[in-house]
Amino acid sequence: MTDSVSSTYVGILGYGTMGAGIAQVAAAAGCGVFVVDVGEEALVRGAGLLSQSLHKAVAHGKLADDAVETILGRVESGTDPRALGHCHLVIEAVTELYDVKAAALKEISRCVDGEAIIATNTSSLSVTALAANVSNPGRFAGLHFFNPAPVMRLVEIIPGIDTAAGTVGRLRAWAAEVGKEPVVVKDQPGFLVNAVLMPYLNQAVRELDAGLASAEDIDIAVRLGLGYPKGPLELLDLIGLDTHLYATTSAYEETADARFAAPPMLRRLVAAGRLGKKVGSGLRTEKVHE
Amino acid sequence: MSDLTNSRIGIVGAGTMGTGIAITAIRAGFATMLADAVPAQLPVALDHVDRFLGQSVQRGKLTAVDRDAALDRLSLAHDFERLADCDIVIESISEDLHAKQELFRGLGECVPQETVYVTNTSTLTVTAISAGAVRPDRLVGMHFCNPAPLMHLIEVVDGMLTSATTHALALELARALGKTAVEVKDTPGFIVNRLLIPFENACIRELEHGAATVEDIDRAVRFGLGYPMGPFQLLDTVGLDVHRAVSLSMFEQLRDPVFAPPPLVDQMIAVGHLGRKTGRGFYQYDEPGMFGA
Repeated sequence: MTDSVSSTYVGILGYGTMGAGIAQVAAAAGCGVFVVDVGEEALVRGAGLLSQSLHKAVAHGKLADDAVETILGRVESGTDPRALGHCHLVIEAVTELYDVKAAALKEISRCVDGEAIIATNTSSLSVTALAANVSNPGRFAGLHFFNPAPVMRLVEIIPGIDTAAGTVGRLRAWAAEVGKEPVVVKDQPGFLVNAVLMPYLNQAVRELDAGLASAEDIDIAVRLGLGYPKGPLELLDLIGLDTHLYATTSAYEETADARFAAPPMLRRLVAAGRLGKKVGSGLRTEKVHE
Repeated sequence: MSDLTNSRIGIVGAGTMGTGIAITAIRAGFATMLADAVPAQLPVALDHVDRFLGQSVQRGKLTAVDRDAALDRLSLAHDFERLADCDIVIESISEDLHAKQELFRGLGECVPQETVYVTNTSTLTVTAISAGAVRPDRLVGMHFCNPAPLMHLIEVVDGMLTSATTHALALELARALGKTAVEVKDTPGFIVNRLLIPFENACIRELEHGAATVEDIDRAVRFGLGYPMGPFQLLDTVGLDVHRAVSLSMFEQLRDPVFAPPPLVDQMIAVGHLGRKTGRGFYQYDEPGMFGA
């Protein structure tokens, strides 16, 4: 990685929502970007996500009209990972499954030179466990962007056991230069934000199940009493109850910490297909607590 | 009691919360009597009311005429018998069950039977407080958030013996004060503290075991979750001693370890790092400040 953002060349593996979002962040800050995915179809879909997001930013007045072309001009894509060879920083953003990420990291490791930093955008897997797939784990770390990446200002940087201090420092500097708020966090389930968020969401569901108040009143109390942008139950509807159930269950399996144990009501709602906003029915989207 | 606008409100306890509720009440047009057993507390409270409303005028939120009218509605007392002509008496004394029970027992002897009693408890149950009250059916919980004049939420809580009429009156009073009421079961911490205290304790434990620095945890929560303050900024504002008391009270009642204050809290209190008010908590402050002042 070079000293200046405009001369930093960033590679991204995986052109899904996160990959496209990270590509936008890097390109908007002046980095050259190359995105790799497995087939033409994936590349077209990814490019679609990127231009959609850029046009949304223009519509919201967050981006000048003529900036769209400039940003798109900095993003190339292809299916051959060897194209990542000259990148200073490669960010893995493929599907959140250990085997898929392990294969992707091995591939990146073969293609880039020994000086390049390799980062994973995992949200739930152990960075240290993933590091086993990289030839030189000293230059590997977690770089966790939040969804949607162009909007959310936080980036968690997660050193694995073997990550070099210099790698953390360079990632922190790069994240700040592309306009993010980097924090350095321990390699633990949920890192920091999800480690404190998941127990809170679980508790809100348990309290609702125990009849503490109506779902609506719980959300109102949190928004007005604590100033949070959303109440816990409307947030769960947005995240997706199945997504939260999966994340909190894996954290529970790894830690045996009861705070992560999925509340029975959450399981019931997922079993009933009430997954939240995406299906039009969840904790708040439809009355489930009469 | 049907016409709330002519109701006289009494407030017992002229601390931060009681004073904040008094500001809310006089601003909403209620004749209000603020009472405290400690006479020296009253001028302090009056000064706070004065400064708060003065700031509101400066910021263009209130006209000078309205401020003067609001101040005219406020009277002060250290003799609780003067609360006798109040229609509603709001208790906002220290968060001590026996003290609150004693107060309501005593008030029952000096105020009329029709008076409605409100407790502003944040962690105790309304049912426990109502034990021994002369008219437990006329006692209801209304939990204001700090700072009361600025925060819009009131948690309305029925004790086991609260009547439907008293409950309805509490909802009406919340509306008349310009607040939004939510209805909550009578359980320690209600909604806000029930969800906030375990979150704050979880953040303190993350700090204890080195998950990240104070600054990074605060930034992660602000920028990752959009909360207005990081957990340590909030703890410094609330005060570590207050956080400990609230946590411990909930832990003792609920016996769930997520409410237990982590050891770091005790250590910080031992060395006097209580937060903003002592100039040092998780952060260092140039000058001690008061929340909501």
